[in-house]
Formats: sequence, C-alpha cells, structure tokens
Amino acid sequence: MPTTEKSRKKAPARPAQGGTSATPARPASLRKTSATHSPKASAQAPAKPPARSAGRAPANAPHQPPAPSGAKAPVKSKVQAAVKPADKAPAKAATRQTPAQPRGKKVSGKTPSQVPDKATVKTAAQATTKAVAKKAASAKGEAPKATTPFVAKTPAKPVRKKTPAKVTPAPQTRAQQTSQPSTPTAAPKVVEKVVEKIVEKVVEKVREPSPIPQYPLTYERPDHFHVVNHSRYKLDGMSLVTGAPKFTADIDLPGMLHIKVLGSPHAHARILDIDTSEALKVPGVVAVYTWKDVPRVAHTTAGQGYPEPSPYDTFLLDSKVRFVGDRVAIVAAETPEAAAEGCRKIRVNYHVLEPVFDPTQARRPGAPIIHDEPDCKAPLPIFYDPKHNHCAHVETKVGDVAMGFQEADVVRERTYYSHYAQHCPIEPHVCVSYLDENDRLVLRSSTQVPFHARRITAQTLGIPLRKIRVIKPRIGGGFGAKQEVLLEDVCALVTLRTRRPAKWELTRAEEFMAARTRHPMIITIKAGAKKDGTITALSMKIVSNTGAYGSHALTVVSNCGSKVLPLYKIKTIEFVGDTVYTNLPVAGAYRGYGATQAAFAVESMMDELAEAIGMDAVAFRQMNHIREGETSPIFKALGEGREGVSMVIKSCGLAECITRGMKEIGWAEKRGRGRHAPGPRKRGVGMCCLMQGSSIPEIDMGSVFIKMNEDGSFNMLLGATDLGTGSDTILAQIAAETLGCQHDDIIVYSSDTDFTPFDVGAYASSTTYLSGGAVINAARQVRAQILAVAASMLNEPVDDLTIENRVVYGKGRKNKLTFAQICTFAMYEYHQFQIAAVGSHVTHASPPPFSAHFAEVEVDTETGQVKVLKYVAGVDCGTAINPQLADGQTQGGLLNGISFALTEEYIFDDKGRMLNPNFKHYKIFSTADLPEIVTFLVPTYEPTGPYGAKSVSEICINGPMPAIANAIYDAIGVRLTQPPFTPEKVLAAIKEARTAKK
Amino acid sequence: MKLHLTINGKARTLEIAPNALLLDVLRAAGCKSVKKGCGEGSCGACAVLINGRPRNSCLVFAAQCEGADILTVEGMGTPEHPHPLQEAFIKHGATQCGYCNPGSLIAAKALLDRNPSPTVEDVKEALDGNLCRCTGYVKRIEAVLDAASLGKK
Amino acid sequence: MLKNLTHVHRPSTIEEACALLAAPDCKNIALAGGTYLAESSDTTIQGLVDLSGLDLNFIRETSEGYAIGAMTPVQDIFKSKLLKGATGHLLKAAAGRIGSTLLRHSITAGGNLVSVFPWSDLPPALLALDAEVQIRKGIPKRTVPVATLLEKTPREFLDKSELVTEIHVPAYGATTGTSFTKFAKTANDYSLITVAIRITVLQGLIRDVRIALSGCTKKPVRRPEAEALLKGQTPTPERLANAAARAAQNLDLTNDFRASKEYRSEILPVLIRRGIEDALRQIAA
Ligand SMILES: Cc1cc2nc3c(=O)[nH]c(=O)nc-3n(C[C@H](O)[C@H](O)[C@H](O)COP(=O)(O)OP(=O)(O)OC[C@H]3O[C@@H](n4cnc5c(N)ncnc54)[C@H](O)[C@@H]3O)c2cc1C
Repeated sequence: MPTTEKSRKKAPARPAQGGTSATPARPASLRKTSATHSPKASAQAPAKPPARSAGRAPANAPHQPPAPSGAKAPVKSKVQAAVKPADKAPAKAATRQTPAQPRGKKVSGKTPSQVPDKATVKTAAQATTKAVAKKAASAKGEAPKATTPFVAKTPAKPVRKKTPAKVTPAPQTRAQQTSQPSTPTAAPKVVEKVVEKIVEKVVEKVREPSPIPQYPLTYERPDHFHVVNHSRYKLDGMSLVTGAPKFTADIDLPGMLHIKVLGSPHAHARILDIDTSEALKVPGVVAVYTWKDVPRVAHTTAGQGYPEPSPYDTFLLDSKVRFVGDRVAIVAAETPEAAAEGCRKIRVNYHVLEPVFDPTQARRPGAPIIHDEPDCKAPLPIFYDPKHNHCAHVETKVGDVAMGFQEADVVRERTYYSHYAQHCPIEPHVCVSYLDENDRLVLRSSTQVPFHARRITAQTLGIPLRKIRVIKPRIGGGFGAKQEVLLEDVCALVTLRTRRPAKWELTRAEEFMAARTRHPMIITIKAGAKKDGTITALSMKIVSNTGAYGSHALTVVSNCGSKVLPLYKIKTIEFVGDTVYTNLPVAGAYRGYGATQAAFAVESMMDELAEAIGMDAVAFRQMNHIREGETSPIFKALGEGREGVSMVIKSCGLAECITRGMKEIGWAEKRGRGRHAPGPRKRGVGMCCLMQGSSIPEIDMGSVFIKMNEDGSFNMLLGATDLGTGSDTILAQIAAETLGCQHDDIIVYSSDTDFTPFDVGAYASSTTYLSGGAVINAARQVRAQILAVAASMLNEPVDDLTIENRVVYGKGRKNKLTFAQICTFAMYEYHQFQIAAVGSHVTHASPPPFSAHFAEVEVDTETGQVKVLKYVAGVDCGTAINPQLADGQTQGGLLNGISFALTEEYIFDDKGRMLNPNFKHYKIFSTADLPEIVTFLVPTYEPTGPYGAKSVSEICINGPMPAIANAIYDAIGVRLTQPPFTPEKVLAAIKEARTAKK
Repeated sequence: MKLHLTINGKARTLEIAPNALLLDVLRAAGCKSVKKGCGEGSCGACAVLINGRPRNSCLVFAAQCEGADILTVEGMGTPEHPHPLQEAFIKHGATQCGYCNPGSLIAAKALLDRNPSPTVEDVKEALDGNLCRCTGYVKRIEAVLDAASLGKK
Repeated sequence: MLKNLTHVHRPSTIEEACALLAAPDCKNIALAGGTYLAESSDTTIQGLVDLSGLDLNFIRETSEGYAIGAMTPVQDIFKSKLLKGATGHLLKAAAGRIGSTLLRHSITAGGNLVSVFPWSDLPPALLALDAEVQIRKGIPKRTVPVATLLEKTPREFLDKSELVTEIHVPAYGATTGTSFTKFAKTANDYSLITVAIRITVLQGLIRDVRIALSGCTKKPVRRPEAEALLKGQTPTPERLANAAARAAQNLDLTNDFRASKEYRSEILPVLIRRGIEDALRQIAA
C-alpha cells in the first residue's frame, strides 16, 4: 500500500528534541522530495499489492491512487475534465465556495463587530497568504482555481471520449494545494515561508500549508438520502452479539508474559531505593524494571495532536511518585499471579513527602511542589509554571465586564463544584504486545488514538516510530479514558527487552485509581442581566484539578469556555481558567471534556438569573440562545492550545429541541407547581440547553483509503477509531452514499497504523464530521474513477452516466454496467489499474450540535433522596447519519450523566487513597435505576458537515447535572452546587436552607 | 484436578486448579465471549448460564461446575443461525461497543426461558446485573421485548 | 483468590460434608454460592466442601410455615410461588433486594445468613419473622432461633463441623403485615439502612411487632424497647413516630465513607416509621 506507507512518513512535524527524540525530526524538504517507497515496510503488508503498482507510487503526490501503467500526462487532464460534470452534486457544492468568493471573506463579513481585536491579526495573516498564493499561482501561469476535479468550478471542456484506450483514473495535483480555506491555489514553497512567519507570531505554532486537497467546505443537501440518514445495522453487530473474539485480550500468544505494575501507596514520595531481588526470585517472574532501568523521556500520556497542548511531565518510570497508584515498578511474569506476587515482593524505601490535595491550596506559597523535576516542560510555547503547581492558564475577555455588571439590573454569583468521576468502560485498559515475524513491535491496544499511541510510545522509549505498529481491535468502550497512552509504553518495553509477547490488563481498581478521570473543578460564576432578559455580563473563573499529571490540563479548561459560553448572547465576558496539580488521581479527557463541568455552572446560573428577573427559565434561554447566522467571539478567542477558529452558526435546531422537550416533560403544567404539593416528597422539573463542538478545527486530520474489488465491493481503510460508537458503520454509510452502493458493500478495516492512513483518533466529537469528510473525499475520487472506466466501456460521456445502487447507467438507461463489471474491466481487461483513492480532511469549523434537556425529579425531603422520574433530551446533530446509533449516543451519554449527577463519586481518605475503587461502591446506574427516558433528534442540515452531519457523542452527558439541579430547585427551592446529589448532601442542603430562612 | 462439564452442548474434560474461577477456565477453554469487566460480581460481563441459571462466572469456582451444563453466547447462536435475541440486539441498536453484550444476552435468554412474555419491569429486573456504559439500556430493553414478541409468533 | 486451596470436595450427604469440615489436619470450609469465597483471599483455607450435592435446595410448606433449604438461591425465594402472605411478602422483598439478578442466582439463603454482613438483606428479615435455623453436625441436629445465631457471628456460634441446613419461617395470618426497606444509593447498592417490620393488629390493637434493623449497624439488631412502646396500643401517628424515634436511639451507628453516622441517625426514624406504616397498610389491604 504505497500510499499509506508514504503518508505515514509524513509524520507530524516536531521540533528536534535532544537525543531521546523518537520521531525523526521533520525534514523540511520531505514534502518536496520524492519519498521513496520503503521496501521493508511493504514487505510486511499481508495484503501486499502487486509489486508493479507498489513501485509506482507517484512522487510528490502521496495521496494519489497508484497510477495505472501507461498513464500519460495529457490523458490526465482529459479525464479530469470529463469526470467533473458527471458528479453533479459535488460540482454544485464547489460553486458555493469558488475562489472568487472566498469563504473566509463571507464569514468575516457576517462576523459581528464585537470580534476581539486579536482576531484581526490572523485574518491579516490569511489575507497575506491568499495574496501570496495568488501571486505564486499566476507566476506559475496557472489560473487561480482549484484543480481537484470535484471542486473545480470552471466549466469543463466537453471531451468526447471515443477511445477507451485513454481511460485513466483521475489523478490530482493536490500536492500543490493547501488546506487554507481561503487559498484557492497555493504554491507551497512561497506561501510556506510567509505563513510560517506570520502564524508563528500569532499562534507561535508552525503549521505549514498542507498538501491535502482543498476540500469542498460545504456539502450540498441531496434531494434524498439512499444510505445515510437511515438506521442501517451496525457492521460489526453480528460478530459482537455472537461473541467473536475481537477484543484486545481475546488472543492468546504462546509464551505471553503478564505484566503488573506496582502502584505507589503514597500520594507524594521520593523513591530512595528499590530492592527487586526478592521479586526476581518469585517463580515465574521474568523481569522487573524500575526507574533505573528505563529511558527517561518527558512526555504526556494525552493522545492529542502533535505537538500536544499538554505538558511533558510524565516518565515511563520515575524516582518520584505523585499520587496513590502512580507507577513504581514493572513486573513481567509467566502468570498474572506470579506478576502480582512479584509486585508484593518488591521492597521500596520511600521518603514520604507532604502531599497537597486541595486545589485551592496547591498554588499557595510553600505548597509542596509536585513537579520539581527539571525536565518537565510544555512542548508548546504556552503558560506552564510547575514550580507553583500551576499547570495551565487560559483567559479571555469580551468587552468590559465591569461595565456589563453595572448595566445589569440583577447580578448573581455562586461557586459550583464538579467532582471526580471515571469513564467506567466495561473493558478496562488492556494492551498486548509482540514482535512480528519481521521483528517489528506490534501493540494491540484498546485505544482511541492508535496513531498518537504509536508516536508517544516511540517517543517514550526512544525507538524509531517505524518499528511500531499499533492495532486497535474492537474496544470495549472508551469515553475519553482511552484517548490516553497508558499501557503501550510498558508493554513495548517488556516485549522489546524480553523479546516475548506481553499483556497488561488493568484491574477495575487500577482503572479507577491509575487510569484517567474527569477534571474536578471549582467554578465561580457571576452573571448580570437586565430586567428585559438581556445578559449583560458573565464572569467565569475556574480552578481545574488535573491531579498529579497535566493530561489535557489546558484544553479541558479551555473547553469550559469554548463549548459553553457561545451558547448565549452575552454582552461582556470574562473567562479565566487555571489548572493545578494535586497529589490525586490524574484527570484527562472524558466525554464532555470540560463542557460537562462548565454547563453545570452556567446552566444553573441561567436559572438563577431568570428567577431573579422574574422570567421563565425556558423563555429566558429562548430569548438569549444563539441561532443560525449568528456567531460568538468565543469561537475565535478560545482554541486548543492556541487561538480558535471563528465561525458562524450554519445550523441550529435548538429552538425546536426546546419546544418539543417542553411538551414532552409537561413544562407548562408542572414548572413551579410541585413545591407546594402536600407530603414529604416534592416534584419538580428543570431544564438546560447545551452545545458542544464537532472536531478540533484546523488541527485535527483524518484520512481514508478506499479501493475497489472486482465483485463491486470496496475495502475502506480508515484511520478513524471506532470505540464502540459505530463509527465504522457510519463512515461506511457515508462512503456508500457517495459511491452509490449499500453500506455492507464496504468492507471496513480501521485503526491499524501499518495499514490504514492517519487519523487523529476518536475524540473531540470528530469522527463523523472530520473523518466523514475524508471518506467523502476519497469516495468521490473513486466514484469518478468508476465513472471514467464506465464511460470508456459504454463509450458514452461521463456526463451522461448515473449511478444507482451498484449499477452505472448510460443515457436514458439504455446501457448499464454493474460495479463488478467495471472493476473487473479495470483490473483485467485494458489499461489495468486499481480503482482506489486516498482522501484526507481537515475541518475549518467545529459546528456545535445543540440539545435541550428536561428532567422531572422527586425529592424526598425527609431522606434527601432524589429520584429522576423522567428525562427528556432533544438533540440537533445535523443530519443523523444513522439515526438509531445517534439516538444510542444520546441515551448512553445522558444516562452516564444522570448517574454522574446522582451517585458517581470518588471518595478519598486523608492520605489521598480512593476508598471506593470498585463498582460495589462507585455506583453507575443499571437497568433497575433507569428512569423513563425520551429522546428525539431534531434534523438540521449543517452545510460544512458530511451530508449535513455534526456530532452527537459528547453533548448529552453535559445535561443531567444542571437539568437535575434545576429540577431539584424547582421541587424544593434549594440550589445544589456540589454534585453528586446524594441523599446525604441533599438533606444537608435542605436543612441548611431551613436554618438560613430562620 | 479434573473437571467434567458440558460447554455449549459439548462434553469437555478440563484440567483445572482447585481455586480456578469459572471465568478464567472458560476463557482458557476458548470461550472468549465471557468477558472480565470487574472480577467482583458487579458488572455481569462474565455472565453464563450454569444449568439454566445466569450467574457471574467470576464468582463461581470452576470446581463448582462438575457435571454442569454451561451455555455462553457462542452456544446461543451463530452468525448463520443467530438466536432471536442476538438478532434483536442488532436490529434495535442495543449493541454499541459490544463488550457487555454476551453477558446481557445470557441474562436476557435466562429471562425469556422462564418468562416468554416479560413486561418492561421484568426486563429491567432481569438485566439489572449487566452494566452497560454505552447504550443507556433503553434499546436493550426494547430488543428483549421485541425478541420476546417474536418468540410468541 | 484462595491461594492455598488444594481441594474441592463434593460430598453427597450431610454426614460426609460434616466429616470433611471436622477434619483436624486440614482447614476445610463450606462452599455455598461462592460469591463471598470466590473473592476471599484467606490463605488459611485449604479445602472447600461444596454443599450443592446435599439436596438442600428447596422451599417447602410445613405445619408452622415454611422450610427453606440452606442451598436455595435467594432468587428462588424472590420468585417463589409457594411463599405467601405476610411471611412470603417479607422474604421475597428482602431476597429481591439482594445484589442483582445474576448474583441472586448464586447467593444462597444459608450463605447469606451465615456470612452475615451489615448489608446482608435476608438476616434482618429472618429476625423480624422469628425464624429458626436447623443446624446439623452429621446426624445430630439442633434448631436455634436466628436471633441466637446472630447474637455473636454465626461463624463463632457454629462449631467447625456444623452446617446450617434449613431455615424455618413461621407463617403469619391476615392480621399481620410486613415491610422491608433497603435504603441505598442505587438499586444494586449495598444497604445504608435496612428496616424489616412485622406487625400484627387485632381489633385495632397492636398485638405483636418486630422491628429489625441492619445496614447502619455492625450486625442485624432487633429493637425490643420500641416494640414494647407499640405492643397493646392503637397505632396512632404519634405513637408510631415515637416508637420509630425510640428504635433509632441507643445504637452504635456506622460511620463510614458511604454515609455519616449523623445522616444515618437522622433518617433512621423516618425509615422505621414509614416501614411500620407500610406494614400496617398491608394489613388493611
Ligand atoms: C457485588 C456483590 C453485591 C452483593 N450485594 C448484596 C446485597 O445487596 N445484599 C445481600 O444480602 N448480599 C449481597 N451480596 C452477597 C453477600 O455479600 C455474600 O457474598 C453472600 O451472601 C454469600 O452467600 P453465598 O451463598 O455465595 O456464600 P459463600 O460465599 O459460598 O459462603 C459464604 C460463607 O458462609 C459459609 N456458609 C455458606 N453456607 C453455609 C451453610 N449452609 N452452613 C454453614 N456455613 C455456610 C461459607 O463457609 C462461607 O464462609 C453481594 C455480593 C456481591 C459479590
């Protein structure tokens, strides 16, 4: 697979990092030089393509399908031109964003004047880029137009194809294009420097123009959908329900070692000495490693785009432990029991240090310094002050908040607390490692981020990235917990040192204590409104507790603003987020990613404001929420480790989510009534509104490779990672829709760093929106190739051809060819070539899905027990590619949110030890706790998303905490600020309110 | 010690350690559908039918199963001939990551074996030991009710 | 894990089982459902004596009420068609609140009683019902009230070679009502407070009453003083509230990470009062 191999080489740029750097420093010239195909790598491909095509990967065009033999330049353009008009929808889509009316311009034209000044800097940069690009293009004698046939807007020269002999696929000159949305054509060499300079100044993060094609930035809404927007069955469903051995731990390898990692009993200690001699004597123990035996490379476990916005503060093993459960030593043994026994026999001499658990104390002078090692650092030039346990800082301002508060008729202020929680995938983290027959290291891992896992493992161990292959089989849930590289480095170490397969599977207790958690936060929010309902000011100050390591420390707290504040029109905003280290379990990515915590505070505050001005909570939100055609300065102000991307809302179904939800819950009849009912049990209803994002714009990239088989089926190799959500199925539906076949004609293989092209992985609600775009991109190319072959076979112009369910029809449906016939012809008959293409995608927006949640609760005022009677959620996720799976995401997310709001919590003793690291005492809901749940989708069409799709996976987990808190308030007039709302806490709050009244 | 039992209709003789748990023994015997989620009887991913009773195999000594008849999801149906419950799980979107599916299908089968016409409450009760973090249970309950109604036809 | 386990015995008679338990040179222990033992890391245990071959899985009607075999899975109690009336109601309610369906198919009546934990659901119900257990030591047997068995721990009460074989529960008539309350965070959670009530009302007067508590105490307890406040009285709301308050007093309530002592003491009288009310409503119905 020459194309994947080559694109893999285009590893993310990284600065040189001293001797330990695992990824080769990016050669600036790589893109320009023709990357020669690595014969070694291709030899490992089981589905090795025929040597002749493998050797023919066209230089300078890593994303191109292999050129057929005898392809000649002049033919190219003919086919290109011929292909274009046939694909009507894309062609139309293309006209929407012709270079003549650059998208960026349109957007900025709509951008309200309150966009902060800062924003203009980048616009200037873009403008310059555009200008330079144009110049460069004309200098080359090119028309300033997109050269991808599917985006081209210039009318095609009518080409009558008479001779099938000239048929070739439609190769593109994508290498000459950039991902800049407003750059019609870019001459990379010239633009590169200019962009680098300016962007460096603005965001201090070098991003070169990417050689990937200029995508259609909008997707035309078709008359009707054939495959998408239908609840097709999940492709892997049958194998899952029949128990096929598809998960990481389901393979047995001869001689496999079992790994156990000794966890620290102390929250903060220095390891003075470790004696492993007794452990090594335990029968079956094969190896024991301590910090003395392993490379020391500062890295982050956060599986994020490179360079990561999380600090490099983690080591494979260290001489210091920073939380209870932190890695102390690694034992590999013949059996799990021997490994456990080995751990017990390790003698560690600790110098126990004073810990700090309270995030408000962590930054105080004299507080114990958790990361006092000299080599921790932030890989990006962002704020990082470990000497004060200050892990990350973000702030932004819109307008003058002081003025805003003055303008307000009412001002409310309150502090909200969001608590520790775990994702609880039913499959804990697990990784199996082995050396394959070519001596390459294979990591079969339950991960959401196989490509990041490969990169970070290479970095941590100081081994070449090319030595590693990461395979993600089926995984048993992730929810963000597996967006983290937690096991791979240890498995890799053991296998490389012992040359034996190894397996490490976390126990449930380890999953709770040593995997990742949701960042607990203290959110102080102050807001002001006028009597007419205008929100004049909002100030939100957050202390986020990242625990002992700074995984996702900055980005989660940034998301508290960026995924919550744009929801309402607020005249002035002040947002400050500070993330601190403590000696508690490590936080990380968790579905919702900061929005969960912040939505609790903001949505509670919205109710407070509404009450203060005497307005209905729904009416207040209806008046203030963002709508289509509107924007928020926050989009631009808050990005991920840098500035964000400004964006105008192009689809918003929130209004309908609200009105339908009100009906479902009986808002008009119930709101404000329950409190006065007789008896100790009071009922109430509450609601909240939500938004999230879809992908991380202009940072994340996904790619896809599609090739056709002679029975008319397609292999789709996805970098994207299905963590159980059904994304393999959804992406197959998108491919099928584009190609004109059924979703089970697509054979999906995903997430294997050797065989699938790159994708950042499953996070940030990006797979459908981002990777779906890549699918369309690849599928359109393949479709064009199919049509080109068919045109030559039928001797009809491509324009006259139509595709319907695996059949290409000629004009007037007189002639037809099946996909199988077409591919067979292309493979065996004449001018043979592989119908195939790679598509990549970077998004330039992160359109928010919207949702309105309604809860009806019953509060037992004598015991404090809260029961959710009914829960209603309406979601606008754009086009639901698979409505049933989208609904499943909604229901799963909100039930997780409900038990997070009511029962899930970490309970620590005064030494920082978690007292309830098991499902016996960390209670997640079962069917027996399930309230009545009503969910519905409100279809909208997001023009920047594949077939109108946005995202759906994260948003709904954010609702239950505020909706339930607001419902409790409605029932008993007590505002709860410290979830989970356990009976004990609720009763205490009721009593407190009673004494306050007296 | 030797253990004689029937797994998915096949008589087997296995060599086991006296303290071995059924979960580990079944997985070693090739029944990889039996999943370990917590090892403490809370999640139900390891549920199997032992003489018709759905039980957490992580809390059963293999030695307790001398002469027992064990059914795992592998024995419930195949891709060619799936059990109506397996079909219903797919049809209703009750399977997301699928890790908990084998255990919950076993619990659902045990329910329908005893009660072919369950109510929603019956289903909620019968599946209360099978934790699922993906689906929010709604579709799973629908699936079981649908499979039951198919069974009656 | 039982690291030093070397044998699992499968006796087919009670005598044989007791003989194995009596073995002086080897620590053998009875194995019922296994839900506790499978998680145990007791390194002293060398052998398990599996009780499943002893025909102790039954629920029978007797002249006084019911006999429940020690090896009966609590799910069978929960779903029993034989158990009826006030007794059946309380037994089923308690058995049905144990763990989850999967666990209830494993957990046995005998195992739940003998291993009694603060959260165990069956013991307080058996206390409220004045149940007795039949204990066998080979051929010899004795019958003791559950209350006696629970005075210390059942393990301490029982001889090494003794087995609980049956639980005898009296049947109560239509003038008796019962209720079972398990207060916990979720349906499958361990109990924070358990209240089991049995109350008999004849001609408007409370003839007999049992208030048994668990969950909030180290072991299941009865509240005779509060019971005495009600006996012979008409069940007025004040009286019930008084008795409930009294029942909640003078207890060494558990203070742990799951709930504070203060909280438990605050809601305990509420739950007891409501429990009595529920039981009374049952008579009315
Ligand atoms: C996740 C989980 C949740 C649970 N939730 C609850 C709950 O909510 N409520 C509740 O009540 N229980 C609950 N339990 C069950 C409880 O904790 C015990 O595990 C159970 O009661 C033990 O019963 P068993 O039949 O499995 O006994 P085993 O584990 O087989 O034995 C327990 C002990 O009793 C002894 N023993 C058993 N039978 C006899 C006999 N006939 N004569 C003499 N000695 C005997 C054994 O030697 C052993 O020491 C739960 C258990 C788990 C794992």
